[in-house]
Amino acid sequence: MTAPNQPAATSPAGSIYDLGYRHYEGVRHGRLYAMWSLYVESLRGVWGFGRPTTAKAAPFIILGIYSLLAIVQLAFSSVFAQAMARGDTVELLTYANYFATLSPFIVLFCIAQGPEVVCRDQRYSVLPLYLTRALSAVDYAVAKIAAFTTSLFVALMVPMIALFIGDVLMKADAFQAIGDEIPHFLPAIPASFLIALGLAAISLALSSFSPRRAYSAMGLVAYFLILEAVLASVFAIGVESSLEWTSRIKLLGPTSALSGANDWFFGIRPDPKTFGEVLGADAYLGAALLSVLVFTSILLLKYRRVRS
Amino acid sequence: MALIEAIGLSKHYGAVKALDQLDLAVEPGIIGLVGANGAGKSTLIKILLGILSPTSGRATVMGMDSVRDTRAIRQIVGYMPEHDCLPPDVSATEFVTHMARISGLPRTAARERTAEVLRHVGLYEERYRQIGGYSTGMKQRVKLAQALVHDPKLLLLDEPTNGLDPTGRDEMLDLIKRTGTSFGITVVVASHLLGEIEQVGTYLVAIDAGKLLRADTISSFTKRTPVLAVEVEEGADRLAQALDQKKLRTRLDGTRILVAINDDTVYDMIRDAVANLDLPLVRMQQERGRLEDLFRDAAPAAEGIQ
Repeated sequence: MTAPNQPAATSPAGSIYDLGYRHYEGVRHGRLYAMWSLYVESLRGVWGFGRPTTAKAAPFIILGIYSLLAIVQLAFSSVFAQAMARGDTVELLTYANYFATLSPFIVLFCIAQGPEVVCRDQRYSVLPLYLTRALSAVDYAVAKIAAFTTSLFVALMVPMIALFIGDVLMKADAFQAIGDEIPHFLPAIPASFLIALGLAAISLALSSFSPRRAYSAMGLVAYFLILEAVLASVFAIGVESSLEWTSRIKLLGPTSALSGANDWFFGIRPDPKTFGEVLGADAYLGAALLSVLVFTSILLLKYRRVRS
Repeated sequence: MALIEAIGLSKHYGAVKALDQLDLAVEPGIIGLVGANGAGKSTLIKILLGILSPTSGRATVMGMDSVRDTRAIRQIVGYMPEHDCLPPDVSATEFVTHMARISGLPRTAARERTAEVLRHVGLYEERYRQIGGYSTGMKQRVKLAQALVHDPKLLLLDEPTNGLDPTGRDEMLDLIKRTGTSFGITVVVASHLLGEIEQVGTYLVAIDAGKLLRADTISSFTKRTPVLAVEVEEGADRLAQALDQKKLRTRLDGTRILVAINDDTVYDMIRDAVANLDLPLVRMQQERGRLEDLFRDAAPAAEGIQ
């Protein structure tokens, strides 16, 4: 990226008193490579690779719990297939309702691993080492968001793939079933991506405010779980006393907005029982995109101020 | 071309002048950057790294402007910060490899350089253990390794011996000296301990309150001065009186008497005075300038060193 520089005037000294130090003459990549390296390292960090075994426990256990129902459905696919063949109606998890049903576990993943992505660099002051290399503060934030989005995307897609395999196995003709299933499955990819991006932006933006992992996690609990619970109870009161405005309140919820946006990709209307009758999926899509924008901006602004 | 050059460099934080019209030209070598806490050492380093931009004036590293060519400068500069900067839950190998890659080295090169550099700083089997379990000395070595891993032309070390015990301090200084002399890397060591700089440096830049106090080779700071130190076992005050009567300029410094050397007769006059008073003479020695004098009080130091 930059022109190579003249060797230091004293460099011949190295060959006179050679103690085995060799100068590096190879390629030096630029800023994008540095971002990529940070992305890879952060991604490994989320899953605990290159860290002690204990660091791998939380992400994999939570992912296991989140995917459990899909895997159970896959394991018992032949049982369900027989039941359906008998003409019983079986309530199966679908690509569209999986996140809405099990979102607390993915939120738990964010609370457990989100602070890990940004807090340790601040807590242990690693950040200045990055910022005195090729990376700018914005590059840093972008690489971190990308890494956590990828992690969440992988976590969200694991049960989707399990569901896909299960659904294919339930059909008599597996090859034809693959062709039939793919159109149902495909919307899960952009939907999961948006959910991953939304959750990553919120998690990292809120985590970046404290170098202490525990405080960041508490902030995330407050925003994800407590806010969502408050909104749910306000919504419930609204339904009882037929207040019209409360049916829009779920737009404010971090996971409910993403869940409504998820329905948009599958072309279905958000469940009126939990979302009210007033707004369609496109309103939630808008809310989700706005939240991505707002929290990404918060994160970038936060790091613009941090200059070692 | 000077390696580091500053022209009218100023950095103001509101009313506080961290650097004030600093002019500086530094040649390659091991350069000690000395000043009290808050003298502007770290500010200067941060401007050279492009983390801070100067309020006025400019600084260049190998002819590259610190504001315009920040990225180019950072490729050839290694920085070891004063504070802790190591995550505890990864191994030294893992961490230094990662930093090498952030500096733009491809994966295999990063691994090779990491192994090599960690060996140079004296970390062997420990390098596979987590940094959290390291001693302060080992952590300082890792910090130095991450600054060296991309083979910089210039190393900026901010208080590299902070928190080290005397042995660790000497080892670190030795390592710095080796880096500067055998690796052909120019090293700038910021420190508030003059003794350290005297031990490793070839060139000294002393700054005080954001201004350049003096920049010169270490040897010129410590060369002989026209002052003779006379030490007697007892009766120093009587001897001083006797010398004063002979119109010599003297100053009593504990048990020693400092005498200005005007001409060669001074030696004889002191000898006679000592003999007359029948005092036990311990030694007569021409004084060497000491770096401490720089900061103790600037005026006599300048007079004494010349």
